[in-house]
Amino acid sequence: MKAFSYSFTFYCLLGLILLATTDGLAQVESSDSLLSPLLPPSEVIAEDHPGDAGAAIIVRWKLSPDEDRGVTGYEIVRSTSPTGEFSSIGFAAAGSNRYVDANTEDSLTYYYKVLAIDVDKNVSESELSPPARSSPQWFNFHLLNLLIIGGLICGAVIYFIAHAKKGKKLFLRKIAGLEAVDEAIGRATEMGRPILFIPGILDMDDVQTIAAITILGRVAKTIAQYDTKLNVPTSRSIVMSTAMETVKEAYISAGRADAYSDDFVHYVTDEQFGYVAAVNGIMVRERPATCFYIGAFFAESLIMAETGNAIGAIQIAGTAMPAQLPFFVAACDYTLIGEELFAASAYLSGEPKQLGSLKGQDVGKIIAMSAIVIGALLETFFAISGSSFFGSLAELVHKLFSIVAS
Amino acid sequence: MDSVFSHTIAAILTIGIISFLYKDNPLYKFCESLFIGVSAGYWFVQQYYANLLPKLFDNLGITKLVGAENAPEGALQALFLEGRLDDNLLYLIAGVLGVMMLLRLSPKIGWIARWPLAFTVGSSAGLYFITYFQSNAMSQLEHTILPLNSFNNLVLIVGTVTGIIYFYFSKEHKGVFGGAAKVGIYFLMITFGASFGYTVMSRMSLLIGRIDFLFGTWLGLVK
Amino acid sequence: MRRQIPVVITFIVGSVLIISVFIPHKPFGQLGENFSVYFDIIAVFAFILGAGNLLRVHGNRIYKKHKDWPYSVVTVAGFTVMMIAGLFKIGGSPGITGDLTEPGSMFEDLYMYVFTPLMATMFALLAFYVASASHRAFRAKNKEATVLLLAAFVILLGRTPFGVELTSWLPDPLSFLEIPNLASWIMSVPNMAGQRAIMVGIALGVIAMALRVILGVERTYLGADSE
Repeated sequence: MKAFSYSFTFYCLLGLILLATTDGLAQVESSDSLLSPLLPPSEVIAEDHPGDAGAAIIVRWKLSPDEDRGVTGYEIVRSTSPTGEFSSIGFAAAGSNRYVDANTEDSLTYYYKVLAIDVDKNVSESELSPPARSSPQWFNFHLLNLLIIGGLICGAVIYFIAHAKKGKKLFLRKIAGLEAVDEAIGRATEMGRPILFIPGILDMDDVQTIAAITILGRVAKTIAQYDTKLNVPTSRSIVMSTAMETVKEAYISAGRADAYSDDFVHYVTDEQFGYVAAVNGIMVRERPATCFYIGAFFAESLIMAETGNAIGAIQIAGTAMPAQLPFFVAACDYTLIGEELFAASAYLSGEPKQLGSLKGQDVGKIIAMSAIVIGALLETFFAISGSSFFGSLAELVHKLFSIVAS
Repeated sequence: MDSVFSHTIAAILTIGIISFLYKDNPLYKFCESLFIGVSAGYWFVQQYYANLLPKLFDNLGITKLVGAENAPEGALQALFLEGRLDDNLLYLIAGVLGVMMLLRLSPKIGWIARWPLAFTVGSSAGLYFITYFQSNAMSQLEHTILPLNSFNNLVLIVGTVTGIIYFYFSKEHKGVFGGAAKVGIYFLMITFGASFGYTVMSRMSLLIGRIDFLFGTWLGLVK
Repeated sequence: MRRQIPVVITFIVGSVLIISVFIPHKPFGQLGENFSVYFDIIAVFAFILGAGNLLRVHGNRIYKKHKDWPYSVVTVAGFTVMMIAGLFKIGGSPGITGDLTEPGSMFEDLYMYVFTPLMATMFALLAFYVASASHRAFRAKNKEATVLLLAAFVILLGRTPFGVELTSWLPDPLSFLEIPNLASWIMSVPNMAGQRAIMVGIALGVIAMALRVILGVERTYLGADSE
């Protein structure tokens, strides 16, 4: 025990002395370097920027050894000839060791130099980089993970569409909002009042509007059978045109071409609040018994849903706008939440191949949940044990889902 | 325009819209009809100057062709004056698709209007597929892969997973699975409540803005 | 043929756009951007259909002396005046390059003193609708609605000085129960979890929907059911 404490004291003293000396040495060195000229960055490498359409070269370098001694940043200069005139193309902050020159011509060869600049505006120039040329690529390897996971999900969707086509039965749970569609249409018929269908306020270039139009097609087919009046005000011209065509075909396929009128669908205005002013007017004057709000909505969602509430209409909403969902949930009888909006037309169609795609979506969910659970467990094991094995596995799962902004 | 006159018009229109809260009335009907007309006209003009003119007419060189000063040279000038095929010539496709859209008015060849529609729907399907996949699915999942070493992380992971279970279509929500879906619903409800509560205050400030206009800018009662 | 060609167009355009994400090489890399511009152009042409429909609907009302026909006159007049004021740049610098929104021009005046107050007031009505929706939520009838209400209440209080005052007396060990802390916890933990579940669901929904459209399984929007 005594021996131990002696040796311990000895080593402690030795450690302290060493520490003091190295500190002293360091001080000497740093005061010495104040007098020396600024050291340049080194090992400048320029290469084609990968995974792009060309016109970009990435420049990398080893930081100036004087980083801690007041380097404020790096200036990047380039030339098309090693002996030619170099011109400045941009700056990188201190501590950064890469710069993307996104303004190159693919047919030219470029040479780069990186200049360290310090607080006193001293400049120190690196060696010349090797020649570099930008070129376009045919595949972006940064997105390989996207291809793998996307391929898995698409494969599942396509597989189950084909599977269902063969007549294999699939179980699908009920969605309350969709179960209520027939009842809501029936109620309007009994009351002798019209049905209002609002397909959102965005144009056909929004996927929610496409979903809305497909749902309108299914709903209109039922309405045609019930012989109830339908009113579809639209806020976009292409949506009007598409909705007219869709409703018309729904009436024809229901064998009620005679009951169809071009007046069912009409354009109001592209302006969000002008549109909602008109919809409010329609609601209080025509008093629809049933209102559908299906598609992309913004702040106007609540104005419509509350007015609908005031006139006592049955209201079925569906949107994938997360910010508007709470208002529909609070003010409507049924709300199709996010994914349910996109599933709705498949549900309502009742066609096996459409329903099959929903099973494919569920495979996507299994992938998502497994990724979260497995990833989280690996992260936890890594946090507890510090084992690099778990660490690298967890990193792998992360990488599988990370999108690199090339 | 004289500011007292213009502010009075603005004030009458403001009162007209607010009056709807009491009940539907002629002033509201007037404001509504005016709003529809003026805003539809506004967007038409905006779309013409912001989209059709620069994106189609300028790119093709039609603006230059009709003799507008300062108009840029476009693909048509490149083709006929320089004999060169410019990339912008591809906008001709958009123009043709646009005209096809109008053919809907013709009973005989109205079906051709489906082509631009098919183009639009196809391109939105493709674009949204990728953007939603990247920003909604992949990046959200990446951020949810967390170590279970804190209460918050645990809640976050349980909430996300049970929320996803709620959306699961092809299995009955019964037993343990149903229980998990139920927990998921509660998480969704907290989410909805949170955005609801968060929005209420900002909506109140909008109303205060209009009241401020009526009593301050217009009547000068509030400084 | 009339049905097949549109389905083929959708298939080609949709699948090429998806594939093009992985191919940075010209012309694929730029396709998404270009196609959005194409859409903008198509939309302007389509607007002629929309405007035509608006004029037809209101023209009919005027012609048939519909109950509210004088209001239709207002709509038609508003549309015509705004369009002429804008296209001919009345009261502003004329010509294609003239500034459309020049102060003092008729277009700008109509925008400032007619369009803007109407829009702002319609938007401001939301305050009343939010209040009535909250009132309904207060009568929460089931557990889910109660949870929604509680979360909304805490967040709302957390954004007001009153909410801060209300729980500031809590001793330090219980500071996590202070309303602003509770509100920010709800926002960043359970709210975030719910948002993520919704977003992942939406992404899967969009993927399957896009595939149904691209593969031609879903073609309702083309009105193709009858053949």
